[in-house]
Amino acid sequence: MNFVTKRMDVQAAADDMRRRTLSQIRRPLDRLIYLASLRDYNTGVYYHDGLASRFSEDAVCEALSECHREVFRQLFLSSLEDLVAQLEGYADSTNAAPADFIAAWQGLEPYRVSVPAETDSVSAGFFFSNLKVALAILQSRLHVRRAPRPNAWRQPSLGQ
Amino acid sequence: MITLVFFLLIGAALLFSLFLFARRAARVEGSAQALVEAKQALHALQGELLPPGLVDRIFARQDFEFVASSTPRQVQELFLRERKKVAACWARQVRAGVLRLMNFHLGQARFYAQLSLATEMKLAVNFAALLLACRVMQFALYLGGPFAAPGIVARTVGNAARLCETSEKSLAFLDPSGLDALSKDSARHPAAS
Repeated sequence: MNFVTKRMDVQAAADDMRRRTLSQIRRPLDRLIYLASLRDYNTGVYYHDGLASRFSEDAVCEALSECHREVFRQLFLSSLEDLVAQLEGYADSTNAAPADFIAAWQGLEPYRVSVPAETDSVSAGFFFSNLKVALAILQSRLHVRRAPRPNAWRQPSLGQ
Repeated sequence: MITLVFFLLIGAALLFSLFLFARRAARVEGSAQALVEAKQALHALQGELLPPGLVDRIFARQDFEFVASSTPRQVQELFLRERKKVAACWARQVRAGVLRLMNFHLGQARFYAQLSLATEMKLAVNFAALLLACRVMQFALYLGGPFAAPGIVARTVGNAARLCETSEKSLAFLDPSGLDALSKDSARHPAAS
């Protein structure tokens, strides 16, 4: 397969992924996690059965890598406020208890495997740092929600 | 006896020429390495460290205002600590990239690019000024945090980007289009090559 044909295949596979799958996922953070989940952690190669039935493995891998970089860039350029909202939305969608989700993400830092392989250290560091702050913001919001209101804990006295 | 001395001398001469040849090959390899490193430094600066998207995000005041207005003190402190760390890492890498480019220009560029003495002098002064500006920026970030000196950051980034452009022109002969131009040029003037 020559370079031009392969490039056309990569473009077609990437367009397919964007149109059929990624457009159905609302938040860029969810898209990033989805795309990272298609990558084999041991080899760094992306797999997608649906695309593999129509395109070569190399073209699929390159197309998914391209989509991954694109989504990372989109997420990277979002403001911290936006990232907090996306993380909150993602946490809700997992159906895990918010406190458990935050504890797991702070302890295991699963987001570290979500960035594309070729990401430079400053961009990756910036993204991880933003997620760390976003988790701290969610945690502080959770504490505020859980904290009792000044008079809420007082049992009404029967004598009064 | 005379024959033995004669052959020993020939052997020594051959060994010496081999040694010279090996040294020359090593130097050529080292030069290629310097070229690759310079190209990588330029690519890292232009593609990764200096694009407006990254710089704007790291030093975004919008993030600071959001955190300051809607989060408790501990989160604000964490945010400032984290952003300062990222900004310091970014500034360190920018300075390291500029330094690598400068080393290439001071040591190797004249062998490849036809730079006049005036251009070389100008480049050296610009590099020195930029390295100083990077140090000032690092100092400002260290003392005042990432949002204390947006003017210094913007000026340093602008100067670094301009110097990268100049450097890119002198390294243009490494690009395929540059090679085409070179080969056309040498075809037109075969005596010069």
